[in-house]
Amino acid sequence: MNPLEEPGIPVEDQFRNWSELNVDPYDKMEVDPYTRTRVILMNGIEVESIIFSHQFARHTDNLEIKRALATSRRVDAQQQKVVNGLNPGDQTPLETTIGYEQVAVDLTAWLARHEPDPMLKQALDFALLEDFDHLYRYANLYELLDGKNATDLTDHLTEITPGRPTIVEHRHPADEVRGHYNTFTVDPLSRMHVMTIIAAEQQTMNFYMNHGTDWIEPIARGLYAEIALIEEQHVTHYESLLDPLDSWLKQLVFHEYNEAYLYWSMLQKEEDRRIKAIWELHLNMEIGQLHAACDLLRRFEGVDPEEILPPELPDTPVTFEPNKQYVREVLASQVDLRADGLRYVPVDELGSDHRYFRYQETVNAGGVPSEQVIEADRSASGHEFRDETEGENPIVDLREPVATK
Amino acid sequence: MTVLTPTKDLGATAMASDVVYVEPEQQVTESMLRDAMGMEGMNTSFVADVLSAAITHERCGVHLHRSVANRTNNPVLQSRYLQYGDDAQDHVEILESAIMAAGGNPNYISNMARATENLDSRMLEATYLGSGGIDLMTAEMAMLDAVFLGATIKQANWASVRQIAEALPAGELRDVLMGAAEDVTPQAADEVMWAATMRARMVEMQAQHPLAEQAAAKASEIVERVKSWFSDEEHRTSDQATAAAKQ
Repeated sequence: MNPLEEPGIPVEDQFRNWSELNVDPYDKMEVDPYTRTRVILMNGIEVESIIFSHQFARHTDNLEIKRALATSRRVDAQQQKVVNGLNPGDQTPLETTIGYEQVAVDLTAWLARHEPDPMLKQALDFALLEDFDHLYRYANLYELLDGKNATDLTDHLTEITPGRPTIVEHRHPADEVRGHYNTFTVDPLSRMHVMTIIAAEQQTMNFYMNHGTDWIEPIARGLYAEIALIEEQHVTHYESLLDPLDSWLKQLVFHEYNEAYLYWSMLQKEEDRRIKAIWELHLNMEIGQLHAACDLLRRFEGVDPEEILPPELPDTPVTFEPNKQYVREVLASQVDLRADGLRYVPVDELGSDHRYFRYQETVNAGGVPSEQVIEADRSASGHEFRDETEGENPIVDLREPVATK
Repeated sequence: MTVLTPTKDLGATAMASDVVYVEPEQQVTESMLRDAMGMEGMNTSFVADVLSAAITHERCGVHLHRSVANRTNNPVLQSRYLQYGDDAQDHVEILESAIMAAGGNPNYISNMARATENLDSRMLEATYLGSGGIDLMTAEMAMLDAVFLGATIKQANWASVRQIAEALPAGELRDVLMGAAEDVTPQAADEVMWAATMRARMVEMQAQHPLAEQAAAKASEIVERVKSWFSDEEHRTSDQATAAAKQ
């Protein structure tokens, strides 16, 4: 499918009324976990689109461009309301959080499995293990605070067990900056992978920034603060991968193209007919927005969009599916990786005076919530919360102590 | 077929560095460039980088001229922008042929080409991102300035191509590059002169003509005024134009 050859819906015809925007949420007990993750991802994609458009608008006073941006952005904002509105009011922020981490694990792993560039794959693998660990920490918080079982939400599709422990994920900011792809040589799929994971991680960062104070319990507030800062690290990590050479208008076209690809992707596997219809509608809207962005590119930069876009969407849709074996393999081989400048290195290759250790000493002084939550749940329930469907954790040191099993 | 934006599908290659990742299949190294484009007595990879920057500038020139031709309100300027855009496209083709004759890949993007792309794309952006806060006449000047700057770099690039050709030992490659430089250099010089001339005339017209005062003018009146600029262009001799430019 080539979105440039599809008519889509003209942007001016995309506005919806309040009733259309106020959609019925899904049933949190009945919903397919991967429908929940699709909703979370596409909400993040729309939020990124809106934020990018605002940033672009702040860098121009060209009224034609500003008005075109404002129009598409309003539609994006409406799309965001519809998508995010699918989350039910009785789904607590912690339940949504577990959904966010399931997205982070299964989206990142899927992208890594399909990423043609080995350096970008490494960047995905590196952060995958950290989000995987966050799922385990939040699942324990869920059991501790609410006495509930996180597998009711994840449905055993994603394992819950330690990854790279959150306590060691805190790195000096200078070690979070990566090199980037080259916009001329990059595979179109890689570009979309990077844009997608930035949006997903950014939304996770935003969610934790705003919901970390929804609790009275200090352990929950502390855990959210700690993991929110890792998500900020991840946004820094992933956004470094973009080539800054692209102009604002090219970036706009790439955003719209990626949104079209993702709505098309979500459509392929969605079994909920009502939600599938939303993905289909939004796909046609994004195609209309893509045409509008391409018109700006042609007019103001003299660039034919066909020059910078692939002739058709990738064959393979971005798919939420179990990635258990893949995650285990990455965990077994990369748990001890750290960052040293632009490189990933085994922790034992870092000198004892490395800034990583100084930063660790600073932020971990006085107790670490991501460790405290496990100890607290162990004390309260007599065990750690885990869902290890494929056997024990591949890292011996990360296996549950026998005494607490 | 002339490539205006190299991509992976079109065989784009680049050197990797600590900061710029390039997929292994798309990577080239200095020794690969030397092997492909062996040039006796020359720093081959540097020459490849210069040629890559030159073709990138021509590609950007096609985009710049298309863009300003789309947006100018003056038919005389538009006509020249279109012509110089077509010329730039021809020059892309000439450089593609020359680079291939040398055994190179015209879709190799050197570091120098990245710098060129950065400079040229920001220059093009400068002609439209800030256009809301300026009047139409100033916007026309800004577009012409971008063309003028682009043309001066183009002229310098072709002088470099000629320098490189002159340093090569006698042979087919020397002949190809020398022939290309001889064909294009006068066109590049013409564009520089034309842009300088038109710039001088725009300043002259606005400085000396009371009707050019804009404060109270409606946008439609300004558009009409801009349209009428250079309506005597066909009757003006090139000597007069050159004299105005020199002044």
